Amino acid sequence: MSDTAMSDTTAQIELTGVGRTYTRGKKTVEALTGVDLTIEQGEFITLFGPSGCGKSTLLRLIAGLDTQTTGEISIFGSTPKQASSRKDIAWIPQSSALLPWLDIESNASLSSVVNTRADRSGATTRRPEAAVGILEEVGLGDFRASRPDQLSGGMRQRASIARGFAQGAPLMLMDEPFSALDELTRDTLRIRLLELWEHHRKTIVFVTHSAMEAVLLSDRVVVMSPRPGRIREVVDIDLPRPRTWELTETSEFTAKVAQVKQILWSAWEGDE
Amino acid sequence: MTVGIDPLNPAVAVAPARRGRPRMSSRTGGALLTVGAPLALFVLLAIAWQWTAATFKSVLPPIQDIVTDIAGRPEFYLENLLVTLEAALLGFVIGVVVALLLAAAIVHFRFLRAAIMPVALLLNVTPIVAISPALVVAFGFNQIPHVIVAALSAFFPTLINSITGLRAVDPQALEVFDAMSASRTEVFFRLRVPSSLPYIFAGARLSVAAAVIGAVVSEFTGSSKGIGAVIVMATTYLNLPQMWAAIFFSALTTLALLGLVGLLERLVVRW
Repeated sequence: MSDTAMSDTTAQIELTGVGRTYTRGKKTVEALTGVDLTIEQGEFITLFGPSGCGKSTLLRLIAGLDTQTTGEISIFGSTPKQASSRKDIAWIPQSSALLPWLDIESNASLSSVVNTRADRSGATTRRPEAAVGILEEVGLGDFRASRPDQLSGGMRQRASIARGFAQGAPLMLMDEPFSALDELTRDTLRIRLLELWEHHRKTIVFVTHSAMEAVLLSDRVVVMSPRPGRIREVVDIDLPRPRTWELTETSEFTAKVAQVKQILWSAWEGDE
Repeated sequence: MTVGIDPLNPAVAVAPARRGRPRMSSRTGGALLTVGAPLALFVLLAIAWQWTAATFKSVLPPIQDIVTDIAGRPEFYLENLLVTLEAALLGFVIGVVVALLLAAAIVHFRFLRAAIMPVALLLNVTPIVAISPALVVAFGFNQIPHVIVAALSAFFPTLINSITGLRAVDPQALEVFDAMSASRTEVFFRLRVPSSLPYIFAGARLSVAAAVIGAVVSEFTGSSKGIGAVIVMATTYLNLPQMWAAIFFSALTTLALLGLVGLLERLVVRW
């Protein structure tokens, strides 16, 4: 490896004093302020909070889709834009955002035909995986030749997640990927995502407004509150792994969910 | 007609056409409605036509006179039809290709948009067929003026629709591309162009109609051949059957070109 910082054991994602303000005319809106956060490699971390708390803004900043107005973001020792240009960040949006003119396999292997410069230059640390294998893992092996409009909403979302994993990027960012699905589909997809993560061990930053989802998936939950968007508390979720659906019925689990929600409520009471 | 054309007025087709969804609750009821209803109206219109033709002889010719005229000299109509078809098709292709190239340039360079759009809009408010006599003066008694008018007529609908299409990209799909630092070329060819195809074809269908109108009306001046010339000739001799036969053939030209575009769309847009 040419870049020693990448193989360094301290390699991680570090945010220091990150803020983002938007200016519209004479008005300035503080979407995010004073965010300090360190994310370990291979960690599953969730940004949790109500709408307007800046969790999606924060995710977009980490992805390099937006730029912070204050503070520093370091991803494996470089800026988000640099990490992005190396294809080291996989983005999984809220809707599946599959390309309707491509079949599922071509959709899942999109990363192999986009930003081919990064692959040629050899700068990337990503290890691309065969889209077919990932599609098998998410249960879409028989639908490789189907078009997105022939699939259900849940299946499309699985294809979208497969696309993210096939990129093989060390960092995966997920922006409320299950929020548009029905409850039952959502529950099965949460477990499937955990299985994928156990197998591939990527760093995942996951945005959600469901406390239950946050606790079920994460190693740590970052509780955020709005006006201005900021971190209230980071909660360790020391529940055993691998996590299954049975875990959600235990009292430890319910207690964690309650704890996370309590932080948010007390934050609101402090506001009003 | 067996060509795959939306029977609804293509002039309002600015959004991508929806296909493959059953519109009627029952299949037989649907067939009865889609075939029976227009057929009934056709019969009704034919009766009204024949009555008018019999009552006011200078307004409409009887349908059988039109049919007899066409049957008596099919090669005359075919020859003129081909002349107009050639001008319309050539103009359509030129107009659409130029529109697509400009649309691609406009979505990439803001200054080009600023420069081109006012001119394009000015062109759109100009009755293009009015330029035809000037073009005849400039280029002479040949096909060139009619091809130019057809091309100018076809240009605008495709330009506007393809600009709309190239910009109507799923923002979340764009995020996926951006997060991987896709190049502008990759975003253009792998995302913008495919997503714009339904819009481009909607625009092309409008351009077909515009190109045929442009070609026919342009042939009114400075032309001895073509459907437009046949109409002018018929006016001189007060030959109503010939006039209406020519009108029928100009509709046929549009229909044939629409069929061609529809066929192409089916081959290209398969999602």
